[in-house]
Amino acid sequence: MAYMLNVGAHSEPNVEVHKFYGGTIIGTVLLALVFQAFLHKYGRWSELIDLPLLVTIYFGVSRRNPVSGLFLGGAIGILQNALSHDNPIGMYGIAKTIVGYLASSVGARIDTEHPLSRFGLIFLFFHFHQVILAITQRVLLNHSTPFFTLRLLIDSVVTAAFGVILFALLDRLRRRS
Amino acid sequence: MIDAFSRHRPLALLATVVLAQVLLLAFQIKRENNVRLIRYWAVELMTPLERAGTWTFSHIGGVWSGYVGLRNTRAENERLRNDVNTLRLRNRELESQSAEAHRLATLLNFREAHLEAPMLAAQVIGASADPTSHTLFINRGERDHVRRNMGVITPDGVVGKIVEVFPSTAQVLLINDKDSGVGALFASSRTHGVVKGSGDPEPHMEYVINEEKLQSGDALVTSGEDRIFPKDLLIGNVDEAKPGNPFQVISVRPAARLDRLEDVIVLLTQQELVPKKSEEASGAGEATPAQTSAQVATPPTTSRSSGVVTDPNKFKPAATPVQAVAPLNKTPGAKSPAPRR
Repeated sequence: MAYMLNVGAHSEPNVEVHKFYGGTIIGTVLLALVFQAFLHKYGRWSELIDLPLLVTIYFGVSRRNPVSGLFLGGAIGILQNALSHDNPIGMYGIAKTIVGYLASSVGARIDTEHPLSRFGLIFLFFHFHQVILAITQRVLLNHSTPFFTLRLLIDSVVTAAFGVILFALLDRLRRRS
Repeated sequence: MIDAFSRHRPLALLATVVLAQVLLLAFQIKRENNVRLIRYWAVELMTPLERAGTWTFSHIGGVWSGYVGLRNTRAENERLRNDVNTLRLRNRELESQSAEAHRLATLLNFREAHLEAPMLAAQVIGASADPTSHTLFINRGERDHVRRNMGVITPDGVVGKIVEVFPSTAQVLLINDKDSGVGALFASSRTHGVVKGSGDPEPHMEYVINEEKLQSGDALVTSGEDRIFPKDLLIGNVDEAKPGNPFQVISVRPAARLDRLEDVIVLLTQQELVPKKSEEASGAGEATPAQTSAQVATPPTTSRSSGVVTDPNKFKPAATPVQAVAPLNKTPGAKSPAPRR
């Protein structure tokens, strides 16, 4: 794990901030939401992957700006809720706002380019996202949403594996400096 | 504050955005009874504050009304205590007047039942200083034509006789005094004897042979042989009878309450007292409906209220019948029943 922690406050000024071509972020977010909705029509396996969460994490760690990260996460979460019918708007928004903020903060401190570190990050953020979601639903909706299950573990592994591939594809949309 | 906000701007923004979304959620989510969560929270947030405010204001009000506002209470309390004492005194006066009116009404009924017999109402004004002497003083004397050996009765029964007469008072020897003797007979068997005082509260019937069958409660009436009391005035009832030598020892429970006498009747004659019939009595005395019903309800064979037994065979001790209050015929020197001040 040492390679993940290319860390330290003293190293922060050397961290590279990635830029994207115009419309890339908005287009990717909309595509992720559309695909998530589209895949949802084809059965349970589509629920294994949380595309909006992957996009939130990717742009958070790439932009490395906590403010833009939290707004992007919040917007993606609210849109995701808006496209669903069973959750009140804001449920995913809260979780993805915090994930976006933390992803930006983490991206400024550790190496997020290596596939293994990306896998670990996605895996952790997936469960962190689930914990926030469960807390929110327990507190506000009185639902007994689980914090951790075997199914969630499988989902997190599948999402992390898919995220490593997706992140590599999205890297191609970066503007070269 | 602003400096701190600038330093932690991303964190503050995060908190703001999350809070905004929580509020957005609270606006959408509905709890029990279709109440929105934001309203629920608002109520939960405001209720303790309102409760605290109410508590504070009520305690401030309590302090004001319990302490500051009580500065005149001491004087008011004193005034109310005085009022209570005055009213208690007044109540006792009224109770006393009510009892006096009741006694006088009883006397009046008795008087109306024996209009043909001269008699005089009197008040007991004193008693003997000697505890062994059962005598008392009444407020009638020589000026009222009271003479020695006149009988003294109450509507309940025989009290005693006049033994000393003074210009405005007289002394009455009660039937339980050791020097007293009243000619008596049993109302049921008509067996004669003498009721004599013994110094005890209860007098004794003497000269009754042991073969005489007696029961507790048997009525004793005057026989008229002593030439003081008219015949058939109730003296009392047999309390206890024991065989003796040569005569039975019979203790008598006096019909008149000799220890609580306040108003009595002096018989100015030895003429036999025959109670008037109820119709005559009610007609003569303009009795109230209550009085009339009481008199009608009284069996014609007995006249407990008049103290005279007309059919002794059927006499049994009974509770005093209802006495209606009627205007009192005032006699010279009689105390006025007007309220005392």
